Amino acid sequence: MENENQGKPKSSKAAFLILLSAILLLVAFPFFRPPLFFLSLLISIFLFISLTESWNLLGGYTGYISLGHVVFFSIGAYTTAVCMNCFGHSPFLTAILGGAVAGGVAAIVGFPVLRLKGAYFSISSLLLAVIAQLIFLNWEFVGGSVGLWYKLMPVGIEANRVIFYEVMLGLALIITFAVRYVEKSKFGAGLITIREDEEVAKTIGINTAMLKLKAFILGSFFAGVVGGVYGYYLSFIHPDITFNVNTSLLILLMAFFGGCTTWMGPLLGAVVLSLANQLIVTFIGAEISRVLYGLILILVIIFMPNGMIEYLKAGKRVRKVQQGWKHA
Amino acid sequence: MLEGVGVVRKFGGLTAVKEFDFHVEEGQIVGLIGPNGSGKSTLFNVITGFYPADSGRITFAGEDITGFKTHEIALRGIGRTFQLVRPLLGMTVLENIATAVLYGRDHVRNMNHARMRAIELLKFLRLDPKSNLPASSLVAAERKRLEIARALAIRPRLILLDETFSGLSEAEVQDAIKLIFRIRDELGITVFLIEHVMKAVMGTCEKIIVIHYGVKLAEGKPEEVSRNPKVIEAYLGKKHASR
Amino acid sequence: MRERDSDRPMDIHYLLESVISGVLLGGIYALLSVGFGLTWGTMQVLNISHAVFAVLGAYLAYWSFVKGGIDPLLSIPAVAFLLFIIGGAAYRLVIRPVTKARDVLMGSMVATFGLTIVVENIMSGFWHPDPRLLKPSYTGTSLFIGEIVISKGPLIGFALAFVAIALLYLFLHRTFTGKAVQATWQNPMGAVLVGINRDRVSLITFALSIASAGVAGVGMGLIYSFYPSVQNDWTLYVFLLTIVGGVGSIIGTALTGLLIGLIIGVSAAFLPFIWVNILLFLLLLIILLFKPEGIFGV
Repeated sequence: MENENQGKPKSSKAAFLILLSAILLLVAFPFFRPPLFFLSLLISIFLFISLTESWNLLGGYTGYISLGHVVFFSIGAYTTAVCMNCFGHSPFLTAILGGAVAGGVAAIVGFPVLRLKGAYFSISSLLLAVIAQLIFLNWEFVGGSVGLWYKLMPVGIEANRVIFYEVMLGLALIITFAVRYVEKSKFGAGLITIREDEEVAKTIGINTAMLKLKAFILGSFFAGVVGGVYGYYLSFIHPDITFNVNTSLLILLMAFFGGCTTWMGPLLGAVVLSLANQLIVTFIGAEISRVLYGLILILVIIFMPNGMIEYLKAGKRVRKVQQGWKHA
Repeated sequence: MLEGVGVVRKFGGLTAVKEFDFHVEEGQIVGLIGPNGSGKSTLFNVITGFYPADSGRITFAGEDITGFKTHEIALRGIGRTFQLVRPLLGMTVLENIATAVLYGRDHVRNMNHARMRAIELLKFLRLDPKSNLPASSLVAAERKRLEIARALAIRPRLILLDETFSGLSEAEVQDAIKLIFRIRDELGITVFLIEHVMKAVMGTCEKIIVIHYGVKLAEGKPEEVSRNPKVIEAYLGKKHASR
Repeated sequence: MRERDSDRPMDIHYLLESVISGVLLGGIYALLSVGFGLTWGTMQVLNISHAVFAVLGAYLAYWSFVKGGIDPLLSIPAVAFLLFIIGGAAYRLVIRPVTKARDVLMGSMVATFGLTIVVENIMSGFWHPDPRLLKPSYTGTSLFIGEIVISKGPLIGFALAFVAIALLYLFLHRTFTGKAVQATWQNPMGAVLVGINRDRVSLITFALSIASAGVAGVGMGLIYSFYPSVQNDWTLYVFLLTIVGGVGSIIGTALTGLLIGLIIGVSAAFLPFIWVNILLFLLLLIILLFKPEGIFGV
């Protein structure tokens, strides 16, 4: 809940303007004819922003750490692929359906699994992801171990990339703002209370089972929509790609790195870690880059154990106290 | 208002609460006392749905709430505090209370409305100067008041207070006694409390129920109970009872 | 396990072989998993890197065999010792700082994920991701009991696992340090109050768990071919066994290993291999939903 905004109209207006300009810049970016590589990089960043923010609804706010978020991403992708191949509908239209299917699966699966706590929940979610991957690998209708192709868009490579850029940017913005809205709403307050002390939450009338399920379904819905679109972007999907456990861990990482208690954390984490990874790969080389990436992760956890946002906030508080001493 | 008939709760081989009957009238302040480990907190946990009763029935305001889930019981109008206070440390004092207002029996939707009601409540408990501070910055006695405020925030009809007076100074005990009466008289909330601090029990309760090894040992007005030989024996041993 | 020739009628020997083979493998998986449960139980640390150290152990045994001619079984004490040291270092550098975070579960997942990436890619970089196999002469042959054929590799692996788990069990229950570990596990606050140095106990526990992973890796390497990224698959089994067996119990994990081996063995005799895994995971997920503490858990 926000108390900090009261009494500070000037700086929040400035922040709003900066944000607006940043968004407009991003939207206009492709029209400055940058190298396609940058568009691809940004698309991947938008993807991770979407995935990490949607994951955070459950993972960050309630503390139920799911390692199966990719499942819903994949369900969305496979739904749009099948719709395109069987009915010829464009994934841009059927992505919502992909999200709905993902949300539906989340509702069924979440009901029993959310009764588990802590690591038990996490590992169960991982198990579900593995089972789902195995099922899809053996399901002929969706291509099994061969994979599934989307029909390409009848436009050139550049236009193709620009279109996906704008769509993914749009999704990232919508999802981030949706998550922010939830955080500041009654729903968000309930979720955060669950993380703080689930039993106390129950004693003040919070139907914790229902709230957790809602967060899980909503987050999965978003992941499904994003998957529906991104699959189209990849134009070829395969269970080993879409159900990859490492992606789940990466999402966890980015949320944690940025700080999972607030909507800004996943955003920051996705951006910083994606850029860091890209920089390392470009300037240092692929093999060592992975080792370096792992080392950075470890260092970050040690020095910023509660994420970057908390680290920065703590720094601000320390500076304020120091300033206080100076003026005393 | 709150009634339990034949409530039984076992933990493996141990029967913590045995065929327990109790009755709390609306508007009363009733105390539950007994030596350590006699089953008091267990009873509260059964009433609020943390543990299911192995047998027996619990009714509240005429409705059978046996087997209800904790949040359902809260929404029926039973608030509770915990013996070891559980403040929501990552949130501010205000947020602690406002969340309870949101999800309590008033079903508030508007965040600002919830905050305003929360401030009123904090004023009632003299915690409003600290509303924007993190709950972790409160000292022990303040945390107890926060715990009570949070239970009150759901606008309950009955409040279960679990050892509120433990660790309070003489002056704080007097304040707390006044608070309990204010809760009953100004807010119209029935009070059912577990206590060890006899001064508090004698000073507030119109009826006392004594529990010992999960069984009801005695029940009645404070003066009667305090002179009951069985009660004295339970607390102090046979030698004192015969006096 | 032999792939089933579906035209042949099912004979009892084939079923028995499949079951025995499965159970033997279950034993090795059990050894792989006990260490993981140990760190989870005592420190609430979810050590995702557990399996990658098993792979490291397999590689160490491999190089000492191929380059130095040392039999893998003989190199086990050295592997255990080396990995004990590495585990200790990992504890000091990576794990201990994490245990101070607000959310130890998440922090340890992230930190050990980082560790996994580092170790896996170092191995990939130095030793290339080609599959390797530990092939001392004796693993190639088989044991014949009547008409039943049991390959020696899994048999040795099982024997190794049995000995190692027994040693671990004895350590925990018969030695002073081991009991300190158990005390910390059962009641961290109480353990500190009786003077147990929690940091020291955590260090030993973690180092021991990594060492056991290394030994398990040698065992696995005798049976399965390994490469750096096989740790993904091994990690899954580790999670599974620990959760279903119950985090609180070595015996539980060991028995679960045998149980899983049994399930694999039986289903492999009747189902195509792909479905064996699905069945296994589904079964275990269902167990988890009904008894989250695990079959033998406390």
